[in-house]
Amino acid sequence: MARSLAAAMARFGALLRRQGLPVTPIQVTDGVRALDHLDLADRNEVYLGLRAVFVGRPEDVPTFDRAFDMFWRATTEADAVAEALMPALPEEAPATERESPRESLALDAWGEDGVDEGDEPLGVPAASEREAMATQDFATFSPDQLDAVYRLTVQIARRLARRISRRRRPSARRGRLDLRRTLRANLTRGDLIDLRFRRRKRRKVRLVLLCDVSGSMDLYSRFLLQFLFALQSVFSRVETFTFSVHLTRVTEYLRTRSYREVLRRLTAVRDWSGGTRIGESLAEFNRRWPGLVDRRTIVIILSDGWDTGDPETLAAELLRIKRRAGRVIWLNPLLGNPSYEPLTRGMAAALPLIDQFAAAHNLAALRTLAGTLRL
Amino acid sequence: MRDEIRKIQELMEAAEYVTDAPVATSVHLAMRLRKPLLIEGHAGVGKTEVAKVMARMLGTQLIRLQCYEGLDAGTALYEWNYQKQLLHIKLHESSGRSAKEEEREIFSEEFLLRRPLLQAITQEQSPVLLVDEVDRADEEFEAFMLEVFSEWQVTIPEIGTIKATHPPYVILTSNRTRELSDALRRRCLYLWIDYPTYDKEIRIIERKVPGINHRVAGELARFMESLRRMRLAKVPGVAETLDWAHALAGLHADHLDETLVSETIGCVLKDADDIKRFRAEVQKSGVASFLHISG
Repeated sequence: MARSLAAAMARFGALLRRQGLPVTPIQVTDGVRALDHLDLADRNEVYLGLRAVFVGRPEDVPTFDRAFDMFWRATTEADAVAEALMPALPEEAPATERESPRESLALDAWGEDGVDEGDEPLGVPAASEREAMATQDFATFSPDQLDAVYRLTVQIARRLARRISRRRRPSARRGRLDLRRTLRANLTRGDLIDLRFRRRKRRKVRLVLLCDVSGSMDLYSRFLLQFLFALQSVFSRVETFTFSVHLTRVTEYLRTRSYREVLRRLTAVRDWSGGTRIGESLAEFNRRWPGLVDRRTIVIILSDGWDTGDPETLAAELLRIKRRAGRVIWLNPLLGNPSYEPLTRGMAAALPLIDQFAAAHNLAALRTLAGTLRL
Repeated sequence: MRDEIRKIQELMEAAEYVTDAPVATSVHLAMRLRKPLLIEGHAGVGKTEVAKVMARMLGTQLIRLQCYEGLDAGTALYEWNYQKQLLHIKLHESSGRSAKEEEREIFSEEFLLRRPLLQAITQEQSPVLLVDEVDRADEEFEAFMLEVFSEWQVTIPEIGTIKATHPPYVILTSNRTRELSDALRRRCLYLWIDYPTYDKEIRIIERKVPGINHRVAGELARFMESLRRMRLAKVPGVAETLDWAHALAGLHADHLDETLVSETIGCVLKDADDIKRFRAEVQKSGVASFLHISG
């Protein structure tokens, strides 16, 4: 019995894995152990127990439920259980792609076209070209230049990251005892009275990015994302959202190795039809992720402010963010054009509520931006 | 249902915690399999309470580690009491003891400040270790904690290795302000606590606010259900329900009417915009609309 249970649990684990849950062997073992402590005649109890073992986040519950129903088909009597455990599973799970649901979700959000271009060579433009590149508007590069600009973006960001993380200051307040400083401070006294402390671990700033990916904005959004992604070790956390008509949280997708690949797909999702609804997107952000913004958070919104929604909604929701955030930065690539004036209704409504209004239309602007990402 | 699980439910109810099968089953398995239990859910649904009740049930100590951004291993595990060490050296300056002796003395347990994780592994009886709001701590700290959890031993260079003879029961809570690592999730049993259902909320109200009128309790639960469906910035949790229930019980209310609601709504809605939105809704369709579920 014990062996058949273990085998059944292993098959159940395999089924869950095929459905996209990241099941480990330890969880399978735990599943077997859990059965020892559950009433096998009580289907609901077995369900709740195994759910606690195999599910790690609420989004996975529906998948688990389906697999559970498939596997532990109706049985209420104790005798029937072992029997139900053993044969039940068809070896081939019902047609699901090899990709896990989360991956395919990511693809949905970023559009089709999964062509793998492999690793490209790490060619970097010559120094003379770089300065010219830094001040050129992203939109004016030809498609075949973009890759080089990308690499340069990453390079600059990494260098900045190194410089920023080196900055550390001594502190008068608590933390670990700074022996060297303490000794020096007390040299003339012959006694260690005045203790010096090293500052507690530096609390890093958190970033929340809300990127407009509609129309012409997606190109700028891609560069901003790429840039901040390479800078991310400087921040305690970077949360990323994209919006056009709707808001999408893409933090998880961007965490993968294929970050650049994912980014490139961003162009595929142009949403020309609906226009941009910044206000509604911010409202959705406030409603669903209120906990992401606090005093240690810098909120960055990248958009040209062409809002087809209601400017009052935009102002109200932005105010809500401003009240909680450490700082609100609005990036508008159009600002790179000297003749630009923020006259759109959306932009006009937002202006009084933001702490910093900047461009982000070229590398030099991004570099300046990085210098201001502190609280 | 297993007797043990039923017993847990009874014990939890006896400890003033209104529970249901998912909670009881998870707690049961966490204790039996000796695995950490990760509890997620909205603010104010009673996640922390589970640990407290568990400690009371087991008749053991509750040790709490409150997480925050920047929490580091030192603060969570142990620190040396520098001031006390220095004072000690100064007091014994003229005693003529060797530096070695001195050193052995000031790096002894007497000068050790035990922080929650160290406390948790040096108890006579397995305590309940509550790691509260783990999503607020940094990812590096998460990794450090996993390391402690896997061995239940800690090495202090000056003293040696301390291994838990009675490893703690661990409850972790998270408000999901950040996704926890998969490594952590895989090592834990998982429980998601949602807002209570109508029936459960009535039971909670009547259990925690004994003086309340039965009808008011029902109306309150209905009201909260409707409120949570509104698009609010701060969705009220169970703690808010109970505040409100206490207020209404104190006013000896026997039913909810418009005046009473508008006077006391501050107990549950704590955001100016939410209150504005709520008042607009009441203007439009009346308080009664909150007492019927439209579907």
